[in-house]
Amino acid sequence: MPDTVDIPAPLEMHTETVRPEWIDHNGHMNVAYYVLAFDEAAGALSSYLGIGQEYRNRSGNGTFVGDFHVHYIQEVMEGDPLRFSHRLVDCDEKRVHYWQEMYHAEKGYLAAEAETITLHIDMSARKVAPFPPEVQERITAVYEAHKHLPLPENLGRQIKVRRR
Amino acid sequence: MNTPNIPTPLELPSTTVKPEWIDFNGHMNVAYYLLAFDQASETLDAFMGLSPEYRAQTKNGTFAGNINIAYRQEVKEGDPLRMTGQVIACDEKRVHYWLEMFHGTEGYLAATAEYMILHIDMSVRRVAPMAPDLVDWIRQVRDAHAVLGTPEGLGKVMKVPA
Repeated sequence: MPDTVDIPAPLEMHTETVRPEWIDHNGHMNVAYYVLAFDEAAGALSSYLGIGQEYRNRSGNGTFVGDFHVHYIQEVMEGDPLRFSHRLVDCDEKRVHYWQEMYHAEKGYLAAEAETITLHIDMSARKVAPFPPEVQERITAVYEAHKHLPLPENLGRQIKVRRR
Repeated sequence: MNTPNIPTPLELPSTTVKPEWIDFNGHMNVAYYLLAFDQASETLDAFMGLSPEYRAQTKNGTFAGNINIAYRQEVKEGDPLRMTGQVIACDEKRVHYWLEMFHGTEGYLAATAEYMILHIDMSVRRVAPMAPDLVDWIRQVRDAHAVLGTPEGLGKVMKVPA
């Protein structure tokens, strides 16, 4: 059984600043650049899980995102500092399902939430493939450390106009 | 009643995968699928009456509340993309719509995006109702698009399969 004692729950990793080129006609960060910022933050998570750049270079495997859901909660503006938290929600031998939160790093408010399923890929065939056992063990250890966190309210949320 | 011509689905402007949209995997990065969708969605917004002129005249606008993207197949630098839009539902403050992205020459479905957009009073940057005639028009578009049926993947709940 892997030791989960030293695995923070959630993981607090990655900071960012809202860049001028991320601003749209509404004067705030455009929807696409939230995804870019979450995806770059997920690079830190991937490294923590042992499936980051070093793993990609060494193994010829990689990851592709299958689904990405974003909840936009509050605006962020040019120059705003951002921080990110990450937690695993689920995993199997080919997939990791994770949840990220983006906060304004000084004002403290929650700016957005993202839910992602990422797939492990054999890059030579560009097809989904199982994780090697040592990677699976590491991911499972992180999942075990995170599974007791309360589930986020918006996890698994569907987009719907409420009927009245 | 005079039925206006409502394309079903609405064809959105085509684009091409730009070199700066490619990531270390050698394909279009997740964020730039959404940038392409979002740029195309401006044509759908304008068709619904939520155009740049509307924003300028009324000091209202729209913000995205939720966007769900499903990545179906890779696209590479230089690939032509075509996109379509379908209105799923609306009320006086929200529009729920569905976008599809296809490889422009090979024809395969590359990704889908499901949006909930919110109508915003830009003076206070808060959700505000649309004028009744605008809601009526968007409902006509929704009704016309209903012939397309429910898109596969609409309302998908993210889950690792059991």
